[in-house]
Amino acid sequence: MQNNHHKEHLYKILVIGDLGVGKTSIIKRYVHHNFSPNYRATIGVDFALKVLNWDQETVRLQLWDIAGQERFGNMTRVYYREAMGAFIVFDVTRPASLEAVAKWKEDLDSKLTLANGKNVATVLLANKCDQGRDVLTNNGIKMEQFCQENGFVGWYETSAKENINIDEAANCLVKHIIASEKDLLQSEVPDTITPQLENDKGGTCSSCFRSQ
Amino acid sequence: MGPELEYETKSGRAGPGNPTSPRRSVRKNLDFEPLSTTALILEDRPANLPAKPAEETQKHRQQYEEMVAQAKKRELKEAQKRKKQLEDRCKLEESIGTASQVWNQEILPNWSTTCTSRRVRDLWWQGIPPSVRGKVWSLAVGNDLNITHELYNICLSRAREKWRATPASSAETEINDAGSSDRESSLELIKLDISRTFPQLCIFQQGGPYHDVLHSILGAYTCYRPDVGYVQGMSFIAAVLILNLDTADAFIAFANLLNKPCQMAFFRVDHSLMLTYFSAFEVFFEENLPKLFAHFKKNNLTPDIYLIDWIFTLYSKSLPLDLACRVWDVFCRDSEEFLFRTALGLLRLYQDVLTCMDFIHMAQFLTRLPDFLPADQLFQQIAAVHMTSRNRKWPQVLQALQKDPERGSPVLKR
Repeated sequence: MQNNHHKEHLYKILVIGDLGVGKTSIIKRYVHHNFSPNYRATIGVDFALKVLNWDQETVRLQLWDIAGQERFGNMTRVYYREAMGAFIVFDVTRPASLEAVAKWKEDLDSKLTLANGKNVATVLLANKCDQGRDVLTNNGIKMEQFCQENGFVGWYETSAKENINIDEAANCLVKHIIASEKDLLQSEVPDTITPQLENDKGGTCSSCFRSQ
Repeated sequence: MGPELEYETKSGRAGPGNPTSPRRSVRKNLDFEPLSTTALILEDRPANLPAKPAEETQKHRQQYEEMVAQAKKRELKEAQKRKKQLEDRCKLEESIGTASQVWNQEILPNWSTTCTSRRVRDLWWQGIPPSVRGKVWSLAVGNDLNITHELYNICLSRAREKWRATPASSAETEINDAGSSDRESSLELIKLDISRTFPQLCIFQQGGPYHDVLHSILGAYTCYRPDVGYVQGMSFIAAVLILNLDTADAFIAFANLLNKPCQMAFFRVDHSLMLTYFSAFEVFFEENLPKLFAHFKKNNLTPDIYLIDWIFTLYSKSLPLDLACRVWDVFCRDSEEFLFRTALGLLRLYQDVLTCMDFIHMAQFLTRLPDFLPADQLFQQIAAVHMTSRNRKWPQVLQALQKDPERGSPVLKR
């Protein structure tokens, strides 16, 4: 803000996945640097804001922590709008939550695309890796393959409890978001500003374009 | 205690780096423990130092006396404050006592005639005493569904059969029916959610005294209404009822409460009907708080973002529990309209702070309200909300919107 060249980016990021996989815990760890085994269930959507310094620029991440019950899908999919990236979380101790990952990804891609038609950057988080039941993910090659098949830009074994890989995963996502944003800007006529998505009026998330 | 002795200890504590500042160390000391400043200033200097000049001694005495006077004043003030708090608490306890007597002896025995009287409605607004709260809620919610204790037991034993049929280890269960249809298995979700219901109370968690009761009521409900099943938010509602009613009565109230039109709309996730409720809310929002309404609009903050949590849990997750119970009291009296009126009361209470916030901060604020929320102020704000819009009351506004859904909030439509 002190100099005019200082850029500010605002990115909306979704955190989705089955109920009870630890979405809220991951966000609390990432933003507030703490963990409690006693988070209340999220009903609807919760919010958090994380500010990062990124190559002398400021990156603001607006994190949308979306309730995991499938039943709420109709209601919460409006929250996908204008997101620039997503985490899809599953619980390594609950195989069904991994089964659900592909569905969450499919759902996301069908409801949200960037202006150039590409999907938003999405990172897969295998959470609760501290619980030692990571039979699901100990086959790295298989996980890599899974990510490629389903269009994830990367995956991390995370633990909100032990603070494992949360920052790394977030940095990976931000890196890909910035790349896809550059990609977007290049594919556009330089001085028209068109926010992503079918929504025709600029929303909160396109302020990162405005500041440039 | 002799002054010399006191000085010895004092100077010892002050350390060698600070030899000339007994005053400063006294002052410092005063900040923390005003009552222990016994005569420190009145003491003479040690024999190996030149004696204090008379005027300095005089000055120190004066300063010391001022300090003592101030400390006494403060002490007196605090004593008065404590006395006032005690009096207030006694008064409150007494009024609760009197109120429970009135409810028990006068109102409840003649419920059908008294419940609509002006006096009872006024008492009701002030909050139902905890000892009769469950009874009043039961009576006010009613039992249109005619659920008996036997029916509850039947539903419960069915739920138990199902639990027995699924292996205890959740992981194995899920491997077995890794297929997708059972992903939403209500019983599985209940297990996951129970431990996340009022975790700070430590009574619904595994091993806690009400864990099994909560499990039973939610399980029985999924057998009673398999078409609705378990939906997040239910665990909070059942928990609040359990805190105020016996198990079977809590179940009866739970099932009847969820059967109310607004709750059915939300728990069946009837999206278009939910949007109608949000639109009706917006009509009264604009009417009551036009400036804040415009601010929300400008920031694209739609009511679903905060109302979903408030309505699904009937405020039991977002408000302190005692305050939530007071909201439930009047909700039982005034039905769904009061849920939206409470929302407007909250927005009214915080409109000044909200007006200065951007989208994300408002969203964060409303989905996580301050821990210390003044009950009386909130109820004053709720009382100040007008639930009429162009001569129409809540039911008429809702009905009109239901007939003409196109007038619903365009933002949320897709």
